[in-house]
Formats: sequence, structure tokens, C-alpha cells
Amino acid sequence: MDSKHVSSATIPDHQSSTAEKVIAFLDERLGLKEIQAKMLNEPIPGGSRWAYVFGSVLLFIFIMQAVTGTLLMFYYVPTTDHAYDSTQYIIHNVDYGWFLLSYHFWGSSAMVVCLVAHMSQVFLWGAYKKPRELLWLVGLALFGIVITFGFTGYLLPWDQRAFWATLVGVEILDKTPIIGDFIARFLKGGASPGQMTLSRFFVLHVMILPSALMALAGLHLFLFRVAAPAGPFKGTKEEIKAKTDYFFPRQIWKDIVGMAFVFIGICALALWEPVVLLDKATPDPGEYHPEPEWYFLFYFQLLRLKLFAGQFGQFFGAVALPVAFMILLIALPFFDKDPERNIFKRPIALIAWIATMVVIVLFTIAAIINREFLD
Amino acid sequence: MLQPKLKSKVRCTDLDIGEVTRVVLDPLSHEISHIVVSMNGSGERQVAMGQVQDVTDDAVQLRAPSADIRALPLFKREDYVTTREVEISHLEDNIHVTPGEVLVPLPDLEKDVKRRTFFMNFTHAIGFLIGLPIAYPILRFLMQPMYTNFDNQWLKVGNVSKIKQEDVGVQFKYKKSVREVYMPEYEVEKNVWILWATPELLEKVYQGKDAEFRDAKGKTIWTNKKDIPYVAFSGKCPHLGCGFKWRQHKTLGQVFLCPCHLSIYDAGGKVLDGPAPRSLDALPLKVSADGEIEIIDMEFKAGMKSQIRIV
Repeated sequence: MDSKHVSSATIPDHQSSTAEKVIAFLDERLGLKEIQAKMLNEPIPGGSRWAYVFGSVLLFIFIMQAVTGTLLMFYYVPTTDHAYDSTQYIIHNVDYGWFLLSYHFWGSSAMVVCLVAHMSQVFLWGAYKKPRELLWLVGLALFGIVITFGFTGYLLPWDQRAFWATLVGVEILDKTPIIGDFIARFLKGGASPGQMTLSRFFVLHVMILPSALMALAGLHLFLFRVAAPAGPFKGTKEEIKAKTDYFFPRQIWKDIVGMAFVFIGICALALWEPVVLLDKATPDPGEYHPEPEWYFLFYFQLLRLKLFAGQFGQFFGAVALPVAFMILLIALPFFDKDPERNIFKRPIALIAWIATMVVIVLFTIAAIINREFLD
Repeated sequence: MLQPKLKSKVRCTDLDIGEVTRVVLDPLSHEISHIVVSMNGSGERQVAMGQVQDVTDDAVQLRAPSADIRALPLFKREDYVTTREVEISHLEDNIHVTPGEVLVPLPDLEKDVKRRTFFMNFTHAIGFLIGLPIAYPILRFLMQPMYTNFDNQWLKVGNVSKIKQEDVGVQFKYKKSVREVYMPEYEVEKNVWILWATPELLEKVYQGKDAEFRDAKGKTIWTNKKDIPYVAFSGKCPHLGCGFKWRQHKTLGQVFLCPCHLSIYDAGGKVLDGPAPRSLDALPLKVSADGEIEIIDMEFKAGMKSQIRIV
């Protein structure tokens, strides 16, 4: 078919500018205009929505994490005798170092928040169902990577919070049957945390995880484009078709506004609650009460339950429960084959989601209340 | 019914009105929804497939007379994009609008290649042969610092004169020299809880037996005698490895409390409450004539019923 139909039929007196010539040169060699058209002209069934911004926002947050993270590496030194001091130097001496570090810190929280929103949405909209199973699986892998990012990231400042959260986290992994001891030693680079641990976490955080995330995010987008967006679960085909528009301009506009909001939010948090390091890490916690990052608090509180006491209870809570939860999520599109996507007609899914969220919120609150009793 | 082809003649009930210039696909059903007819040069018209009565190899027969088709609005190209400019997956999969196949000749060298499967498998085999020999070195490279021997040297931690009261947990800090890989030896600060124990507490801790400490081969390194009135507990909580403290508890009195997951132990190290799977880990301890305390620094795997030494 003739695609050159609308291309500006050469107007005789028109002298093309240098920029146009460059674009024409590149287009001839790369087919840029076709790629651009293909990227932007993606039909969104039922039309653009504010609810669809989270995927793009996550990509934006990741890019900003990569930018700020790379900048931090200009001063940060990943050794036990310099990590803490170089981080303090970034906070107190380097111009805007406090800001970039705080942005990176709050950016990670924003990522977890948007990720949970994104996943909840896909779950509630039933968008993981056929033919989007692979999209969901790659999404779960990305979820794992983001959590590991958080976990490896906060060891790096080598302060008390970093040290203890890592110590407990690795002890939890150690409870995995058969391979637990190997994993724990592998991550720690020995029997107790030290320089080898810091080196390993650093390499994971700045090399392995970013490349894994980029590769999988690319695959995620590719699968998304192949499967096409799921669209709303309500409405007839005709209604959905009538409201359909392309990714550009309305959805891109919503996405960029969403990114701006998240950017402003992260900046505001970085300004109001800039990162403050605790004392330098030592194997003696002193008066510090170890606690993980806020998004792990519910799990931390969960492990305090009597239900998870003793060796078996601990295995149950620290390993079996999260693994079972992940397996459930992985298996979800394969046993939930009912094509019904309307969440109000999927009572089990709705109740399960609400229950999960209630447990997370309640246990987070419980962990915060518990703080008072410790002081 | 066949699919309408490009360049096919379009016939109305009365006369020929031109040929098919384009086809329009429905993005939802992925079927042809309209054909565009040239109208012999008098402006293209878009005709719904519902109007099509029959399709043959080279002609499309419409149900309507030519006047009805001419009365349709002019086809507006700007309302459409080509399938190359839009991302609708599998859109063209079941559409055959091209008048015949488009072919590319095979290169001469490709024409009589036999054993394609052999070449494919051979490529994989060579890939494995490259990967396999480096997999083990990579694993060993990464595992190098993972397993080290235990360090059984005695470390001075302080003097018993610091302990004023019996059966009360007192924290002693000490420095341990650590040597990691290539690095010069450095010191880390650790801590141990030591109690001056009453005979009742000693009975609770030792249950009438001396406590033996063995190395990996089962050889006894040291024996804590049950009548020495001092007990040392490793500073690492046996639940998940946090550092615990000696605290006043509302109902349980003075206890060891771990602020992480709220395990509570009595002065003898026994679990009173919380998720801990075993008692606090007693360490080898000796007290010299002038009251100097020495211990062997040991760490045990947290979260297990039994003690498994890792440091």
C-alpha cells in the first residue's frame, strides 16, 4: 500500500532547512518516521486514562534513579572504610549532593509505591489473563528486581540502618532449605558481613540489577505492544471502539503530567526529609533499634508474630510464605482462566486483594506503634 | 467468499465503476471492513463490505447500482493511517490483499545447503563448549571468600569488676581483628553479654553438665565448667541476628530483649516470649585470677533450633 500518499507533495518553491535535510537523511537510512508513527499510533481501547500512567511513570522513575545513581558514584567509594565517609561527604560537602542522594532515596520509595499501584491495577482489571500471561510474568520478575534494588541499595551508605537491615535480610535468605547457607555466604562473601558484602551488593546494585531491569523492561514493553493494551473491563466492543484513541497525544500528555507530579513529589520529599545517616555501621547496634525501609515494615512486623516462632515457624514466615505468595502470583494467569475481567464479578480476587492490602497497612501501623514501646 | 484484491475490477449492478485501490481493516475484528474504489478517476469512494455481493479472482460484484455508489461521500485519506504506521498486533495476519506474492531470491550459496540441522546443533555445541569451561572458574572466583576457618583465639573483653550485681546482663564491648581477602587486618567492634550468675542461674544454664565447645572435626576446644559463676552470651540474637539488650519488662521483670522482632530471654538465656527458636548462645569463657575475662568469639546461625557455628 502507498504510504507516501500524504507526504508533503514537494512544493516547488520550498527550500528545505538544514534540520529538515538532516531528518530526511536519517529517515532515509533508519525509517525514523515509520518507527515514530508506529510508537505513537498505538490504539488504546476505550481511550486514554489517568489510571494508565503508572507504567510510564515507573520507567521515568527508573531513568531518574539511573541518572542520580550514576552521579552519586562520582563521589561514593564502595569500601567499608570509605563508604560511610564518602556518603557523608556527598550529603554535607558536595554541592547539591544532599539533594541528589535524597532524590535517589525517595525515588526508590516512589518506585515501590508506583509498582504496587501498577500491579494492583493489572490484578484488579484482570489484565494478566490470556493473552497477557507472559507480560504478567515479566512484570513479576521486574517486581523482584525492584525489591532487590531496594535491598542492595540501602547497605551502600554503610550506616547502622544499612548494616542491620542487610544482616537480618541475609539471615532470612539463609533460612531457604538446602541452598540457603550458600546464598547467604554468597551474598555476604563470607560468614559475616564486611567488605566482601559491600562489594557484592555494590556490583549487584549498579551493574547487574540495572542491566537486568533494562533488558526485562524492554521485553515487558515489547510483550505489551504485541498483546496490545487490555482496555476497560466494562462496555461493548462498539462503545470501546468509539472511545479508542492513540497513545499520542492524549495518553502521552497524561503520562507526562503523571511524571511531573511524581517528580515534584520526590523533590518535595527530598527537600523536607533529606537523607540523614545514622552512625557508621558496627556489629554492635548500641542504642539503635534496627528497622528496615518503610515498605518492608509490614513484613518485619509479621515476623514478630508468635505464629512464626521457632525454627519451623521461622521457615514458614521468612521463606515459605513469601515464596508461596510469589508462586501464587506466577501461577495466577494459568489457573484463573475465566475470561471475566470485571473485578466486581470476581469476588475471590477482590477479597484477596483487599485482604493483602489490609494486612500490609495494619502490620505497617503495628510496626510504627511498636516503636514507642521500644524506647 | 474470497477477499477482495487490489486492482480487482469493481462492478455495480449496471456497470463497471473502476478498481479496488485500497482496503480498510477493522482494528478489532482484523477483517476487511471497506474497499476503496477508484470510480474511474472521478474521486475515490469507500464502500462497506456489506455492499459486496461476490468476490472472484479479479472482480468484486456490488449489490448497488453505480448511482448509489457515486452518491457516497468522497474517500478521505487523512482519516486513515497505513498498517506500517500503527501498532496493532497481528492486524494483517489473516488478510491477503496483495495481488500475488513478493519474493526475494535465495543467495547462490544457500541454494543447496544440506544438513541445516547439523549446523544448527553444531553452533549450539560450540556455544556450550565456550560457556562450560568458564562457568566453573566464574563460580570458584565468586566463592573464594565464602568459606573460612574458625578463629579460636581468646579475646580480652574486660574485667569482672564492671559487674556490680548478680544475675544482671552487662554488656562488654571488645575488638576483634578481621582479615578479609587482600586487605590489611582491621578491627571490628563487637559485644558480648556477661552475667555474674547465682548458683540457681548456673543450674539453669548448665543443667548440671559442663558445656563443651568443639571444632569442626569434633575435637574439644574448651569446656565451660558448670561451677564458674560467670556466663557469656554472644551479642547476636538467635532469632535473626540483631543485637539484643538488657531491659526492664513490664511483666517479666529484667530480661534480654531484642528490639528487632521482640524475642525475650531470661537472664539464663532461655526464651520467655517472641519468635526465637533457641536460647541465647553461651560462649567459651575464662576468668583470670585478677578478674580479666576472655572469650572465644563465636557466631551461630540464627533461626535454627540447634547451634550451627558460622564464625
